Amino acid sequence: MTTITEFSVAIQRRFGRQRLRKFILGMIPFIVLIFVWHLNSIFVWLDPVEIPPIADVWGAIFWLQSDCPGVIAAIEGHGDCILTNHVSSSILRVILAMVVGVPLGIGFGILAGMNRVVSAYLEPIGVFMNSVSGIAWIPLAVVWFGVGWETTLFIMLNTIFWLLFFNTMMGVRAVPKVLIQGVQTLGGTRLDAILQVYLPGAMTSIITGLRMSMAFGWRALIAAEMIGGDSGLGFMIFVSSSEFKTEEVFLGIILISIIFLATDRWLLVPLEKWTIERWGLVWKPT
Amino acid sequence: MTGEAKLIVQGLSHHYPDEYTGESVHALDNIDLQIHENEFVAIVGPSGCGKTTFLNIIAGLLPYREGRALVDGTEIRGPGPDRGVVFQEHAILPWRTVKRNIGHGLEIRRVPKAEREKTVQEYIDLVGLSGFEDRYPHELSGGMKQRVAVARTLCADPVIMLMDEPFAAVDAQTRITLQDELNRVVMATRKTILFITHSVEEAAFLGDRCIVFSRRPGHIKTEVKIDIPREDRVWKDMVDNPKFTEARDNILRLVRSEVTNDVDS
Repeated sequence: MTTITEFSVAIQRRFGRQRLRKFILGMIPFIVLIFVWHLNSIFVWLDPVEIPPIADVWGAIFWLQSDCPGVIAAIEGHGDCILTNHVSSSILRVILAMVVGVPLGIGFGILAGMNRVVSAYLEPIGVFMNSVSGIAWIPLAVVWFGVGWETTLFIMLNTIFWLLFFNTMMGVRAVPKVLIQGVQTLGGTRLDAILQVYLPGAMTSIITGLRMSMAFGWRALIAAEMIGGDSGLGFMIFVSSSEFKTEEVFLGIILISIIFLATDRWLLVPLEKWTIERWGLVWKPT
Repeated sequence: MTGEAKLIVQGLSHHYPDEYTGESVHALDNIDLQIHENEFVAIVGPSGCGKTTFLNIIAGLLPYREGRALVDGTEIRGPGPDRGVVFQEHAILPWRTVKRNIGHGLEIRRVPKAEREKTVQEYIDLVGLSGFEDRYPHELSGGMKQRVAVARTLCADPVIMLMDEPFAAVDAQTRITLQDELNRVVMATRKTILFITHSVEEAAFLGDRCIVFSRRPGHIKTEVKIDIPREDRVWKDMVDNPKFTEARDNILRLVRSEVTNDVDS
């Protein structure tokens, strides 16, 4: 066997044939995209101000961080660490909105799922709020809260809360009644029913809600930062574009996708494995 | 049969509004029943006769207005740990392991962990689930899930265990095994049991007394005593036991007459 075949067999053993195949197929469009992008910098079909070369986008990382004194300073948020400051600003805003919005959305969702009166109050307003696209609130939010974190928080909460509310409510309603009765006949209180039956029972829907909140909340944040923000990746993209620094715009867009993918892989997928997959609540291909 | 009965039901009737027409449906009619300590009472009747309604009222899952129902001398008002229920199927929590499902009642009662685990292990051994303590319900067969359900109810140590067609959803072979096992468990724990079933054979095999319900409105049509010691109630012997076959045929006739008779008697 040649070294290459040996290597290929080793990789297949390590990651599994099907997973590897899926990964490679999924990478092909990206490779094509990068290849075409690179051809453009060679043949210059489009002006660099429209499509900057890959090297310039890469270089923008160092250019933006050029005055940053070091890693410690970047973590501490030193004023000259431009790129890391924008990234951490966006991430902190997502965390803040999640910390506030997730418990509220799940809490009210459980209440509405358990109680017809609560859902009768909240459902119509929820449908109304959900139908108004999150970013439509931005101009109003800027008037109310000015430019800054209050505006971005408001926009994100608007998105996160209602998505989680509806998903949790549906999940709670789908919990079989006999599970509740089982806990009641063991002497369980209403709180036992909520924490030990409704919450885990609705977990499949809640995770869907979390995934949607992350996706839509993150998009809403970028939009809100462009118009009503004073920092963050959205803000950076907007400012760089007005200064025709397209390479910074490209960098911002790529970072947005990477951060989003990372949160999905490192937060939601493990949560899914830890809960609903372990409990056998989702169908899993073998 | 010393002392007061564990369950006393006097003149219990039940009406409920029909879901579509809104008309009042007469489900139960003037039920009188007493169950004493260590007694195994099986209720058998045609489908729709109100036997599950009756169990739900005793479990406290369904409020009643007409008549009286007392457990251990206390009027039934809502569900409680003194009346554990084994449901037909899918009532154990998918997100709890076997061990934690069985110990759930003790956990709710805030029993310290060490003591809880000791008790749980006893019941795991009793129902033959050793080695499966840390499995999740989706990894178990239907019969094993029902063993968990029975152990969960017993572990909470109720005054009376209510069983609502617990073996109706498992296959025939498993059902026979589970019935044999239930007998063994009843001998070991001396629990007082109210058992609902539509299977005449099951009722005759398990019950010290079989209560035959009439068609709706359900009332007690007859009571058949089955005087076979629990030690002798093993399927391989029971099939030729004349006491069993006679009781079974007798109950079957009574139930069939309810199903086939067109006119209310």
